[in-house]
Amino acid sequence: MSEQATEALIETLAAEARPVRVLAPPLKRALALLGLAAVAGAAAIMLMGDMDGLADRYAGRESMMWLEMAAMLTTGLIAVTGAFFMAVPGRSRRWLLAPLPPLLIWIALSGMGCWRVLEQDGVGDLAFGHGMDCLVFILGTSLAVGPILVWRLSRARPIEPLPVALLAGLGTASLSAFLLSFFHPFAVTFVDLGVHLVAVALVVGALAALNRRALAPA
Amino acid sequence: MRSLARRHSWSEEMAEDVVQDVLLTLHRIRHTYEPGRPVKPWLAAIARRRAVDAMRRQGRQSAREVHDEAAYETFADPQANRNEASEAADEVGRMLGELTPRQKEAIDLVKLKQLSLAEASAQSGQSVASLKVNVHRAIRKLRKGLGKGADE
Repeated sequence: MSEQATEALIETLAAEARPVRVLAPPLKRALALLGLAAVAGAAAIMLMGDMDGLADRYAGRESMMWLEMAAMLTTGLIAVTGAFFMAVPGRSRRWLLAPLPPLLIWIALSGMGCWRVLEQDGVGDLAFGHGMDCLVFILGTSLAVGPILVWRLSRARPIEPLPVALLAGLGTASLSAFLLSFFHPFAVTFVDLGVHLVAVALVVGALAALNRRALAPA
Repeated sequence: MRSLARRHSWSEEMAEDVVQDVLLTLHRIRHTYEPGRPVKPWLAAIARRRAVDAMRRQGRQSAREVHDEAAYETFADPQANRNEASEAADEVGRMLGELTPRQKEAIDLVKLKQLSLAEASAQSGQSVASLKVNVHRAIRKLRKGLGKGADE
């Protein structure tokens, strides 16, 4: 009897199926969104970035600067791309782990940089005020970019919204932190690094909490 | 799809529920399949996910349910069953309230008033195909709410 109900359901769904607009491949969709974000980010940096401050902060350690920023940017790009892939059933689950290596490199390099600041300037210079600015910047930028990303991802109506939300959150926060580098006129301390990580965790947590309702609407 | 559903199910009926869930999901997200790519991984991922969801739902339901044999005892005197009947009526009323208006209408016309699909379609304005889908979905919701395995 139950199998008859299934056959009836198949008949019904086949009868009411209309042609659909097929979603573009996940890589294409990811690149489109990242391209837009790159243009907006470049415009913001050109208009308001502190390139001199950036150069001063890393004076004598330019290679460290490029590595750290590359790690941040790579984390963000891979995480956002991974979110688009994970939103489609049957795609590789390796995307969940893909952002981890650049993320660990980013944290390690930031930590080394912070340690250097600590050795140079001592504990007395650990000002939390800068940390709050970082938190506000990352959260604010994520709030601007996050909903757009969620909207694009929700088109796929992912059947597993949580991994998609985690990757989207990590991607948004990482790209926001990368952008922050161009507006961050002071050397990064351990407090700043801690605040960055808290900001990333907050963004990831917020998206994960939204997950089913926002990403996989009924 | 059925063999995958059976591997993740505790009964034939649950397996069939999973199959129907998968079909409804396929219908809803068919736009995500990329033509030219192998269809099996896409289909298998949906089937596995729905099977896991069904197992979790069953697990949550079992954790909430309490079975007390004494509670099933009733008496011949109709007065003794008044409370149970009233509670049952409230429960059914609550579950009907959880259906969408179109599902309620479909159930009412096709199953309660026993109209033919054509008559029900004419009266409600829903197409025959919509009526069938809405009846099916309503019965599934009611079945889940009652936690029984009754056939239609």
